[in-house]
Amino acid sequence: MNELLLNLFYVLVFPGLLFCILMGILLAGLDRVWVARMQRRVGPPLLQPWYDFLKCCGKETIVPRHAKKAVYFAAPVIGFVALMTISLFLPVVKGRAAFSGTADLVVILYLLTLVSVCMMVGASATGSPFAGVGLSREMVAMISYELPFVLVILAVSRATLSYDAGTGMPLTFSLQAIMEYQEANGPLITQWSLIPAAIAMLFVIPCEVGMHPFDVSEAETEICEGTLAEYSGPPLAVYKLTHMVKMYIMTALFCVLFLGGLTTGILFFDVVIFILVCALLTFITMSLPHAVCARFKTEQVFKFYWTVVAGLAAISLILVWLGL
Amino acid sequence: MFEKLIDNSMAKSPWIFHINAGSCNGCDIELVSVLTPRHDAERLGFKLTGTPRQADIVVVSGPITVQTRDRLVRTLAQVPEPRVVVSLGSCPRSGNVFKGSYAIDGPLEKYTHVDVSVGGCTPKPEAIMAALAQAAQILAEKRKEMHK
Amino acid sequence: MLPYLTKAVSNLFHKPSTEQFPAGDPPKAAEGYRGRISYDPEKCVNCGMCIRVCAPQCMERTIEKLENGDQKITFTFDMTSCTFCSMCADFCARHAITLTDDYMIVGTKPEDFLVTGSFVKKAPPPKPRLTPEQIAEMKAKAEAAKKAKAEAAAKAAAAAAADNG
Repeated sequence: MNELLLNLFYVLVFPGLLFCILMGILLAGLDRVWVARMQRRVGPPLLQPWYDFLKCCGKETIVPRHAKKAVYFAAPVIGFVALMTISLFLPVVKGRAAFSGTADLVVILYLLTLVSVCMMVGASATGSPFAGVGLSREMVAMISYELPFVLVILAVSRATLSYDAGTGMPLTFSLQAIMEYQEANGPLITQWSLIPAAIAMLFVIPCEVGMHPFDVSEAETEICEGTLAEYSGPPLAVYKLTHMVKMYIMTALFCVLFLGGLTTGILFFDVVIFILVCALLTFITMSLPHAVCARFKTEQVFKFYWTVVAGLAAISLILVWLGL
Repeated sequence: MFEKLIDNSMAKSPWIFHINAGSCNGCDIELVSVLTPRHDAERLGFKLTGTPRQADIVVVSGPITVQTRDRLVRTLAQVPEPRVVVSLGSCPRSGNVFKGSYAIDGPLEKYTHVDVSVGGCTPKPEAIMAALAQAAQILAEKRKEMHK
Repeated sequence: MLPYLTKAVSNLFHKPSTEQFPAGDPPKAAEGYRGRISYDPEKCVNCGMCIRVCAPQCMERTIEKLENGDQKITFTFDMTSCTFCSMCADFCARHAITLTDDYMIVGTKPEDFLVTGSFVKKAPPPKPRLTPEQIAEMKAKAEAAKKAKAEAAAKAAAAAAADNG
């Protein structure tokens, strides 16, 4: 019984639903305020994403004539649930995730892909040509960031192998093992061979989230919001929430992969420091490029990620594989 | 309670969709200048969207030309309720200097109910801000009437 | 890229350059701004020049006949039709039309955009009435004068003929 209640608490409150949504709203609000301040504007209130979400809930939903109704409504929900599932695998504070397995990182990789795929399926179900263009762009963006992302994960899992050598696998994909390794040897970012991978990961975050310079699939001025072109009302609200929570999930993933293992011993301070680090990462990876850059073209994104970012990740992987 | 939360946030996050129905671009530029750092409509929650499906406030500028008439009607039909229509500048209400032209099929009132209008050729950004703020209030009222 | 980055970060520590407008009074317009028309019917002489020069035909003139022969003339300026070109003000000989610096032309009803003014144009004073006797007298006088003139002319002609002859 206690076990069940604890699991429910995990799923619904702390690393799960409620905490994710609160963090997502906080980070999205901070991002908007920061971008505004960097452009010398006053900016919206901190809770603006929350207002946006509520407002979208209160609007009418117009289903396009050519849409597949079931897919149109199911896609955002499935994407959101997939994203929520990721949060349960992240050992956020105590060094212990709600659920952990031997291949967390692979599951996370698949679930993150599932979120994007749900968006694409939803877009294709609307039958709008703008959504079609957005869908193809989203696919290109996904291919762009997926390669460096996988390389980063490989580098990290190889670097933490020495701790988990007993299993006989050449790599370890368990976040639990990675956290324990970092607790014993210090955060991975302090290893110089993994610094390129960390930088590559910093670049992967905005593209994965779909933040401004890399939001080729949702370019509102060129292709009418792309994948979201035909969405309105509550399904749109779920998409917006997914987008906010993804900001939190990706920054938390960076914390776990490269900044894990640091603890003050007191849970409350750990949570506060974790939130501050997430906010700092949001500022560096999302707000700064948003304020400074114009939107990239699709092929520019592809080229940038497959040369510069993938190159950085590959350097790290080679260094780690050579045992440096 | 949730309904009340939605009602309260309605006026705080109105998203604008801008339709150019044959405008000379003067009003369009002034509308964009409302979003610049000097006037910063985003602090009131305004945001330009790219699609009518996500819009709350539809801003129409320009005399309704024959070429844009059908697209205008179709776009307005795609905006979900509750919605507010704002006519920007003199043209949508009267046709302005294009009045009486064979290429004009205005005014905007022929096709939809116009909630707030801004006069001027072109209006000053402050006037547009005032009109948009008024439109946001009307939006909140419309929402309240919807679920009554 | 780097200069933009440093500028963006340094902007974080600057005050925003946003005007506080929707809270507080609207800022004053620039000098010479052409805003809402103001019309002074006391000065107007109903010459109609403004109507002639207005490109978007934004003014409407209604002339109402009153019982005593006067005319009530109403000018209506539609601010949603005006281009604020100031032609009417320039051509107005009596400076009855001026463009103010009020740019806040925002409203929900058509009446919010109308500037109206009306004045009464007095009919010309009636001509003095004459009684029939007076008219007959005047007629007789005129005829007498005509006769005298003709006689004088005949006399002069006879005298001239005598001189020649």
